[in-house]
Amino acid sequence: MSPALLIARKEAGELLLSQRGLAWLMAMTAALSGFALLLVSNTELSLLDNAQVVYDMVGIVGALGALLAIVVGIDSTGGERERGSLVPLLLVPASREAILLGKIGGIAIAWAVMHGLALPYLWAVGSTGQNMVQGAIILALLGTPAVLGFGFLGIVLGVRLASARSGLLAGLIVLLLSASPLLLGPGLRQSAIGRAFDAVNPFSSLVNAADAAIIDSQAIVAQWDHILVAYLWLALTLWLARAGFRRIVQ
Amino acid sequence: MLVHIHSLQLSRGGVRILHDVHLSLAAGEIYGLLGPNGAGKSTTVAAALGLLVPDAGEVCLFERMPVPGDAAIYARLGVLAEQNGFYDWMTAEGYLGFFARLYRRRLATVEVRDRLARVGLGPRPGQRIGTFSRGMRQRLGLARALIADPALLILDEPTNGLDPRGRREIHDVLIELAGRGVGILLCTHLLDDVDRLCHRIGVIVEGRTVAESAIAELVRTTGHMARFRLRLSGGLPEVRPADCRITLLACEGEWCLVELDPSLAPENAWRELMFLGWHVTEICREGGGLEDLYLSVTERRAA
Repeated sequence: MSPALLIARKEAGELLLSQRGLAWLMAMTAALSGFALLLVSNTELSLLDNAQVVYDMVGIVGALGALLAIVVGIDSTGGERERGSLVPLLLVPASREAILLGKIGGIAIAWAVMHGLALPYLWAVGSTGQNMVQGAIILALLGTPAVLGFGFLGIVLGVRLASARSGLLAGLIVLLLSASPLLLGPGLRQSAIGRAFDAVNPFSSLVNAADAAIIDSQAIVAQWDHILVAYLWLALTLWLARAGFRRIVQ
Repeated sequence: MLVHIHSLQLSRGGVRILHDVHLSLAAGEIYGLLGPNGAGKSTTVAAALGLLVPDAGEVCLFERMPVPGDAAIYARLGVLAEQNGFYDWMTAEGYLGFFARLYRRRLATVEVRDRLARVGLGPRPGQRIGTFSRGMRQRLGLARALIADPALLILDEPTNGLDPRGRREIHDVLIELAGRGVGILLCTHLLDDVDRLCHRIGVIVEGRTVAESAIAELVRTTGHMARFRLRLSGGLPEVRPADCRITLLACEGEWCLVELDPSLAPENAWRELMFLGWHVTEICREGGGLEDLYLSVTERRAA
């Protein structure tokens, strides 16, 4: 087995077998349960239609996935450095790229687990309509690059900042800023600043593509501009993570 | 040379930490790297491992300059770092198996258990590392450092947290490894470890190597008088040694205190005393050894 695969498997174990990883997954499940309950209640009271609740659920899964990815990214670099387990890993006969690839594998597994956890909730809120499949596809197609990009950003912050705690704080601030389209009112989103922000924000790409595909019933392939932004974000953060990890020090 | 460091200078965060560090370690040698807290020992080790980039000077491992991720160098290297962290959710067997596979070694469970037993860790099926004591973690760290049968071992405080029997066991392992040609760089504050294990030492103070040599050679060249308490049967003879390098300081009952000039080897002094009819039945060292040397070298520099 290659070093990258071994390290990815170890990272998966860190998420699925360690108390810390399981606590995060439990927290994610609790948050998804709470939101799903709210959305199902709204549907039962006919306050929101099926398309709207699936769209909301996709946004929530994307935000929680990005949060988990950023935590895993910071923990696998800054966290490991603080716990003293990173240096032995950096001194194994494997290239820095292979070690980074293993760390990236860990983030991808975290997102896969999150995606897997989200599917029953998507089904719970969307099974009465026709939008569930679109929601799952949007999550896979646009959620994956957006979320992985946040995970790579977590690696960059973990490498660059002195402590994992400050990395986590910086990551949460970036995540909140990126997720602000969910919080901004329609008026502000239509302003020049709002539109410019939307154009470069991977999280906006995810929610706007979900809006177009689920609520407006547009074809997913027609969302190529949003898809492009999400993948550019992925490429940019990967480049930053690679450059940062190559220079990681004790 | 397994390790060769010459005129190493290194800064971190704009502050110069290492000014002029020298170090050389040959195969089969145990080298003790000593110095006060914050002197730059761990930084020197990090630079030697290629984890920090020097500003100037020469750093060679296995005759080549280490760079981050240098698989050819790291495959022959075992390291026990100062901050020794583990994956607490793993078992000791799982942890060692994971690192063995990273070193491209496929070890059967029996072999993994043998490796753990070698450093004094008995089988603990299902017990997670998170429940291990400090000493057990230290032993596990050493087992990890030895997993690839390295040609060079770099150990930072390897006997920290170990009980006296554990220390002795680790000493025996290190002596055996050195006998098989493994070079060992030992960073420690425990001078007993250094005295028992090391062939040569280097002392770093404020980022500079202030002394580097064999211990006996350093004691002699730094002018440290060695003091010994001798037990004599039949009291103190009338005849005193003619060699002015042997000074009789005090006598009380059957014990007397002598001081030897660094240029005189102790075995030659005992030979001369016996020749003069001194019936020496017991010899105890009274300071003047490594601890005094260390204090003197580090204080002289600080002053």
